[in-house]
Amino acid sequence: MAIVDAGGIRLHVQRTGPTDGHGPHPTVVLVHGLLTDSLASYYFTVAPGLAAAGLDVVMYDLRGHGRSERPPHGYTLDDNIDDLAALLDRLDVPGPVHLVGNSYGGTIAFGYAARHPGRVAGLTLIESEPATPAWAAKLGRILHRVVTELAHNEADALAWVTARHGRNTARLAKGAARLVRETTLGRDIPASRVLTEAQITAVRCPVLGLYGGDSDMVDLLPAHRRLLPDFRAVVLPGHEHSVLVEAPGTVGEHILDLVHAGAGVR
Amino acid sequence: MNPTQPAPAQPTADTVLADIAGMVRTVLAEYGDDDVVIGMSTGFNRDLELESIDLVTLAGLLEERYGRRVNLAEFLAGMEFDEIIELTVGRLVEYVVWSLKTTQAG
Repeated sequence: MAIVDAGGIRLHVQRTGPTDGHGPHPTVVLVHGLLTDSLASYYFTVAPGLAAAGLDVVMYDLRGHGRSERPPHGYTLDDNIDDLAALLDRLDVPGPVHLVGNSYGGTIAFGYAARHPGRVAGLTLIESEPATPAWAAKLGRILHRVVTELAHNEADALAWVTARHGRNTARLAKGAARLVRETTLGRDIPASRVLTEAQITAVRCPVLGLYGGDSDMVDLLPAHRRLLPDFRAVVLPGHEHSVLVEAPGTVGEHILDLVHAGAGVR
Repeated sequence: MNPTQPAPAQPTADTVLADIAGMVRTVLAEYGDDDVVIGMSTGFNRDLELESIDLVTLAGLLEERYGRRVNLAEFLAGMEFDEIIELTVGRLVEYVVWSLKTTQAG
């Protein structure tokens, strides 16, 4: 397990890639989602296939998540973007990178691309969206529910989750409750600085959106098509928000398509 | 168990089970859990309540012990999500014995 000091915060990083000794290979950086997520969602799904296809793969746990450090404060979107920038500097990753973000991880990846356009070759947003006022309001509602229902009436809430979704989900919910109790994340994320439409449109790299067909995220498609200059959407029928772990084979192929398309024209 | 001790050339299911039980205890020690009984039918999720991030740690311990021949990420990436939830120690033992044998022959 590698712990990397990324500008004052210790982040858990896992890397995999081709073992052919030739390089450098294109780098893909995989950013996971909020509360119940960790780099494990990539490690056991798309990462081995991306490495076998010739990419250097970087995965890390967001602050407060997985095996990374959990400071009590500093959980705005900008803090997460700063962490990603510091990590990539620290790892000395060559060239523009391909960023893949799942859910909130995609919001971080997009924010990084908006801030550092020259450093991003392409973006894959899985069940995700750029930070807009509507995004901040939605996250505020979700986090308010987590704080009130889970963190304050944990026993009742967990019994309900166990009955409805099983023990595994209940265990994940317990971890989420601990995270919002121990940190300012629940207040910080909804208070994050968001992007203007002009800032979103200024992200000119290829953006691939992957969505579960049964997820309400597909409602965002018209806005993404209108705002993003180079946007392609793939809707995977029969899936909801967890499409990354439910359909990793298909998700991995689409990520590779985007990476290879970029390699062909550059 | 001593992690610096070299892995035997042709480990049996019994020695691999002992190795993996030791690694799982290392992971569980982070939660202050000790004295767990670990056998072939023990489920990583059902019985040990390991989360997926704990399996990432276990993957690192397996690689330290056996080298890159044993790749837990590749093993699990070939499975359905439900199969991963149902994974038992015995199934992992079989995989480790099999990968060490295959690479020996190759």
